[in-house]
Amino acid sequence: MKAFEYERPVGVTEAVALARRAGSRFLGGGTNLVDLMKLGVETPDLLVDLTGLDLAEVLEQPDGALRIGATVRNSDLSANDAVRARYPVLSQALVAGASGQLRNMATVGGNMLQRTRCPYFQDVTKACNKRVPGSGCPARAGEHRNLAILGASEACIATSPSDFAVALAALDAGVTALTTEGEVSLTVSDFFRLPGDEPQRDTNLPPGALVTALTVPRLDWATRSAYRKVRDRASYAFALVSVAAAVDLDGDRVRDVRLALGGVAHAPWRATRAEEALRGGPATEEAFSAALRGELEAAEPLPHNGFKVDLAHNVAVRTLTELTGVPA
Amino acid sequence: MTVTDRRTPVRGGVGTSAPRPDGVAKVAGRFAFSSDLFADGMVWGHVLRSPYPSARIRRIDVGPALAIAGVHAVVTASDVPGVNAYGLEHTDQPVFAEDVVRFTGEAVAAIAADHPETARRAAAAVVVEYEPLEPLVDAEAAITAAPIHPDGNVFAHLLISHGDPAATGDVVVEGTYEVGMQDQAFMGPESGLAIPADDGGVDLHMSTQWLHVDRDQVASALALPPGLVRMTLAGVGGAFGAREDVSLQVHICLLALHTGRPVKMVFSREESFLGHVHRHPCRMAYRHHATRDGRLVKVEARMVFDGGAYASTSGPVLTNACCFAAGPYAVPNAVVEGWAVRTNNPPCGAMRGFGAVQACFAHESQMDKLAAALGMDPVELRLRNAMQTGDRLITGQLISGTAPVAELIRTCSAAPLPPQDPAPDPMARPGGSGRSADPDRVRRGVGFAVSIKNLMYSAGFDDFSTARVRLADGAATVTCAAAEVGQGFVTLAQQIVREVLQVEDVVISAADTSSIASAGSTSASRQTWMSGGAVEGAARAVLRRREAGETGEIEETYEHHHKPTTPLGADGQGDAHVSYVFAAHRAVVDVDLDLGLVRVVEIATSQDVGRVMNPVQVTGQIEGGIAQGVGLAVMEEIVMDGGLVRNASFTDYLIPTALDMPEVTVAALIEQPEPGAPFGAKGVGEPPTISSSAAVAAAVRDATGLDLPRIPIRPQDIALAGS
Repeated sequence: MKAFEYERPVGVTEAVALARRAGSRFLGGGTNLVDLMKLGVETPDLLVDLTGLDLAEVLEQPDGALRIGATVRNSDLSANDAVRARYPVLSQALVAGASGQLRNMATVGGNMLQRTRCPYFQDVTKACNKRVPGSGCPARAGEHRNLAILGASEACIATSPSDFAVALAALDAGVTALTTEGEVSLTVSDFFRLPGDEPQRDTNLPPGALVTALTVPRLDWATRSAYRKVRDRASYAFALVSVAAAVDLDGDRVRDVRLALGGVAHAPWRATRAEEALRGGPATEEAFSAALRGELEAAEPLPHNGFKVDLAHNVAVRTLTELTGVPA
Repeated sequence: MTVTDRRTPVRGGVGTSAPRPDGVAKVAGRFAFSSDLFADGMVWGHVLRSPYPSARIRRIDVGPALAIAGVHAVVTASDVPGVNAYGLEHTDQPVFAEDVVRFTGEAVAAIAADHPETARRAAAAVVVEYEPLEPLVDAEAAITAAPIHPDGNVFAHLLISHGDPAATGDVVVEGTYEVGMQDQAFMGPESGLAIPADDGGVDLHMSTQWLHVDRDQVASALALPPGLVRMTLAGVGGAFGAREDVSLQVHICLLALHTGRPVKMVFSREESFLGHVHRHPCRMAYRHHATRDGRLVKVEARMVFDGGAYASTSGPVLTNACCFAAGPYAVPNAVVEGWAVRTNNPPCGAMRGFGAVQACFAHESQMDKLAAALGMDPVELRLRNAMQTGDRLITGQLISGTAPVAELIRTCSAAPLPPQDPAPDPMARPGGSGRSADPDRVRRGVGFAVSIKNLMYSAGFDDFSTARVRLADGAATVTCAAAEVGQGFVTLAQQIVREVLQVEDVVISAADTSSIASAGSTSASRQTWMSGGAVEGAARAVLRRREAGETGEIEETYEHHHKPTTPLGADGQGDAHVSYVFAAHRAVVDVDLDLGLVRVVEIATSQDVGRVMNPVQVTGQIEGGIAQGVGLAVMEEIVMDGGLVRNASFTDYLIPTALDMPEVTVAALIEQPEPGAPFGAKGVGEPPTISSSAAVAAAVRDATGLDLPRIPIRPQDIALAGS
């Protein structure tokens, strides 16, 4: 591990100012960054520890939204009464991620910024366009069983590893960040990006910006929401495919729906095409299946990850079926 | 000396669940593992490893590393004073690579520095110019490919021809099976401390499976007389075969001698994955012949085991796989051909089950296929062919010991099945905490498997164990170099001495190479028999002197041997084994067909144990072995890509969590005392792993109707189309 300096600012202004120094990185729970430092993937000169900042509160806003401070721990948020009652999908997504020990350390802001588990990204002796732009992508011809089937580029087929972000994408959540120029707000969908020819950028966050809060808008019908995750063992593994869904039912018809897929793309994949197909239509398994097939028409699987197309279809249809109470 | 009342047996003798002497310290976090070692003036070692599976080394410049403040030494192949090679069977693995590297992770240089981080940075500063070569990663191709080592690419080629090779049956089934590369995945990383001594020698404290064979390899590389390399067992955090080969032993001793300081090294998890052998991945093509009424006529098999870059124990692993290719059945005719080959993949060697695991997956898959072809119940087919005492292995060897195969099959298959309904708790359904399986999409399956494996080393590699028992002041002290790796030998040694001498206070002294001769390896399920036999022999010798009226301190040393074995002949026939152990497993699984998820609900097992020495420890071995068997069946595999390991971490190499672990039902422990074994006890460590994987695979086939010729079975293998 490269030597680094360590600062523990007492306020966000100081934190953002420190982040202007070259080679700085914000440190939350350290559950991803420190691992990457050990691997030599991240080589910061300065760690700006955020855990002393006053950003650890979950506050109900006058408009009914929930404002979640960036240093709230994953475990705390998953156990939050308002989250559990109003956004089951969010609580379930948090609990589906990592292990209890990691969730106790991890911060929600850091969760949004965790890097891909692509094996080539993590191996500094190998080429990777995300780590070293222009060096190439061995994953396409190599081990890509758990890499992207949607929205990938020639340069990068990495997936976003976060469960939490998938639920946030479905809930139209927002990200608030602070730079030396002032506050920036992005929707989660705009926050994450597809790799294109700049896979080194995971997000559209301006350089040096400090994520201060996540805002989940009021959505009364999100009480009918769920997160399901398919992985290689019963706990403590990254998703092969996951789904975050919320449904607003009008009798046996879908009045409104939110659907996002995880484990399939460089960003949480908001299934807008499927949502449009479902909105106003019947809440039947056939309709769910057709909508997902339509959404997944855009999939471009590689030789070893084609199974994720069917997996995404199956788990999403299941989740929608469960939420709408349609008998299987 | 106190006089013990022989009418009230001493507590904690043989057959009781005597507590482990190291148990409380381990669960309380007070036990010192090898990674906890410390010495004054100590510096830290680190190994620079090859990032390439195959490359020529053009140049090594250690200058930039030596220039870093705090670096005490950088050593390479040219600094090895003795033989720059080690290996358990063949000394073909360089201590440090010279002109070429043959696998990703091969040692190129080692550094000693004032801090582990300094050592890691120094390793990064060593300049190594590599010329990457096309790696040889296909085991089948390796048989005929240009040699990648002066010793050639074939570690072992074995032919077994038994009975009439031209025999045929009424019903013939064929299949080709594969087993992925499994890791032992112990928790305690490789670690040790080497302390230079005034006499020019070195004291090495190390977690290992066999002190004396390590010592000999270290001494050879360092050009020291073995007596100047003194090894002491440090706390071992699991082994399962992965500590049988030398890892960092030579490196830290060399650094200690170079720096004149104690040198400690602890592998990171990634280094541990790269720095020890794994279970051989293999491909096995089978053909079974049987009569219409389900009698086995002939078994044909061709097995290719990928041994990776260096020999390790590839030869004996292959011998085991071939000897047990037909399973625990009486088979009159067999033709088995096996290859263990060298590739640029990671070296493979010993892991719990040692060749029998791979063969079991294949022969049990074949038995199910045969049962289906015959329209016969698979349990009935196994019963009809079950081996018994007096039968012969396909190597022609007479099974003279106990072989309660039919009893195992009957008791295990008769265990009540768990409740039919999928668990109401979604966490206990396929997918676990992902909440992904709906009860109405889950299908139940049941599978059965039976296994055979040898106890002790074989094929003429006859070893022994030595133990000393001293009785003084009413307390006994046992000295034995058997490596306690977690299996509980220290408990058994106490129990045996208590039983023989009727003294309750039994102390186990540290295992080392200076105080006593070899105990052999903690592997091949052999320490209960071999070191147990040595401890019993020494204790009985003490007892005889006490009964002859001696008082005061009595000390006896005993060397225990098993009956001799011979190598297999050119036709693969011969008395290569000492004794056999058998087990039966029945797996019940729930499978979500849409999502490809498997939940192993229950494993019921019956095991041939000879004699239960310690009920709690037997249960512990059964549960632990089943965890590894379940892991191999549904998740564990080192993912290779062109000679590169792609999942060298516990985040990416998945082993079962508590939530993945099934209920374990011990249907029966069959106690038929094994002739020649101390107290009639057979080793119990390996069988739980061997047939549990095959049983789980059979159960998943039963639930899905799929062929599933490869383990681990993963979601994409079940019902998902892929492209």
